[in-house]
Amino acid sequence: MALTEDQRWELVDAIVAATVNTGKRKHTVGDALGELTVKPLTGIPVAVAVLYAFWSIFSSFAGSLVTDGFMVKFFDNHWLPWLQTIWPDPSSIHYFLFVGDPLADNCFEAFGVLTSGLFVSIGVVLPAVLIFYFMMALLEDSGYLPRLAVLLDSLLHKIGLHGYAIVPTILGLGCNVPAVTATRILETKKQRFMMMTLIAIFIPCGAQIGIMLEVIPESVGIVMLFLIIGYFLFGYILNKIVPGESPEILIDVPPYHIPERRNIQKKLLMRVRGFIFNAMPFVLLGVLLVNILYLGGVIQWLSDVMAPLFVTWFGVPKETAGPLVAAFLRKDLAVAQLSNIAMTPYQMISAVVLISIYFPCVATFVVMLKEGWKELLVAVATLFCVAFIYGGMIHGIGILLGVA
Amino acid sequence: MNSQHNTASIYVAVLGLITFVLGAADVLVWAGLTGGMDFGIMQIAGDDFFRWAWGGLVVAFAGILMIRGSRNIGEIPQYSEALLGAILVWMVAGCDIFAMICENIPAGEEAPEFLNSIGGFIGGFAPPYAPAVILLPFTLALLYFYYVWGFAEE
Repeated sequence: MALTEDQRWELVDAIVAATVNTGKRKHTVGDALGELTVKPLTGIPVAVAVLYAFWSIFSSFAGSLVTDGFMVKFFDNHWLPWLQTIWPDPSSIHYFLFVGDPLADNCFEAFGVLTSGLFVSIGVVLPAVLIFYFMMALLEDSGYLPRLAVLLDSLLHKIGLHGYAIVPTILGLGCNVPAVTATRILETKKQRFMMMTLIAIFIPCGAQIGIMLEVIPESVGIVMLFLIIGYFLFGYILNKIVPGESPEILIDVPPYHIPERRNIQKKLLMRVRGFIFNAMPFVLLGVLLVNILYLGGVIQWLSDVMAPLFVTWFGVPKETAGPLVAAFLRKDLAVAQLSNIAMTPYQMISAVVLISIYFPCVATFVVMLKEGWKELLVAVATLFCVAFIYGGMIHGIGILLGVA
Repeated sequence: MNSQHNTASIYVAVLGLITFVLGAADVLVWAGLTGGMDFGIMQIAGDDFFRWAWGGLVVAFAGILMIRGSRNIGEIPQYSEALLGAILVWMVAGCDIFAMICENIPAGEEAPEFLNSIGGFIGGFAPPYAPAVILLPFTLALLYFYYVWGFAEE
């Protein structure tokens, strides 16, 4: 006869009592700190503080120091003028494709493969990804991440996931590609499908966040708020409609310790190398393809066809069709493109949220395909529905608040 | 409880109260209750949600933890709670100091060179400071207690 879950636990307790001899051990400050960070009353303030420190260090290093401090100056004052001087024939197609707008005075607006493409990938995205993965490795190796998983377990159970779903979620904030792979740590097909779909729709990658901090620094908080609400709202709905189980898990919580330099180095190198080879080529390819589509009039045609949906339902200008096409290749690139379209602040927030939720970038798409084509098709169908409904809801909220 | 623990309890309770008030002030200034505040070398600008609302909330939490831990501070669970409050202050202050370092390494936007001068770099650390940075040295007392009360040896 099969045992129930409670009976199994009772059996575990009985075996432990009969076989394990624990002896006496003094409770240390380290033990007490470890316990305090998993109790909701004290653990939630610590989680709020850790996330604050995470994003503060992220924006100080990637934003203030590397991108604004050095990269913008190098690309705008040295690289762009040099390319504009040496590249022949500014009216040619190859100039448009590789250098971009001959009148541009910064790499954000030039939109050539060697100007915007290189600036976005090396100047903005790479430092963002580097510091993100460094901080992530510190959290993992110090022993904080399992505690965060314990702390969020009951909250994530409400949407059919468990505490360890926080790992792919946080990884996704760096790059969605390893995050989709990390969904394998979840137990059931239902959980893996839900996690993959939620990552693809609601988790902006580090590259996109880096660009958002450059283009709309004052609105990043509101965009993130919309995405977090969407994550839990649609997670709850998916949990209700997707068949399958959401079992309990045991989480092994190690004691806190100082991370080892060699481990951090290895993790950082492995993840950054993965990003450089898996995601970065798509940035350059993305700029090239979008420029070709512009030249061929495809973007203009798409803008005209999609205009009723964009203007009436989503409340954004029809010109956002171009960035939405680019978003399939790289979402960071698409947000960068939005900065050149005249919009109200709320329209900008709506457009950025729309870019985040409408489709995974092609690199994520390929990894999702590896996880199973059936799951991918259902995930894509789900995310089109979600993008349509949630995009319209955000427009509706704007109308009610009088800001749309 | 010995007199050393008594004095430490009072010190941590007062520090916790001040920390809570300053954290709450960060949030209230950001919320627009008053304009930016200056007290000597301390400044609460309140111009940024992330730094003043979110960061202020963390400082306020730190104050509450220190107040809760100040009673019977000689006992490990109580001391740990107060220490956790101090750690939250160190996190916010550490982020403020890291932000100052990151902002002062590059030369200004208009300057032709990439790196700031040594004078310019050091000058960037001049006051005013956010409350968490001012509180930082006072919270180091909890680290002192950690060693003198023998918690480190356990």
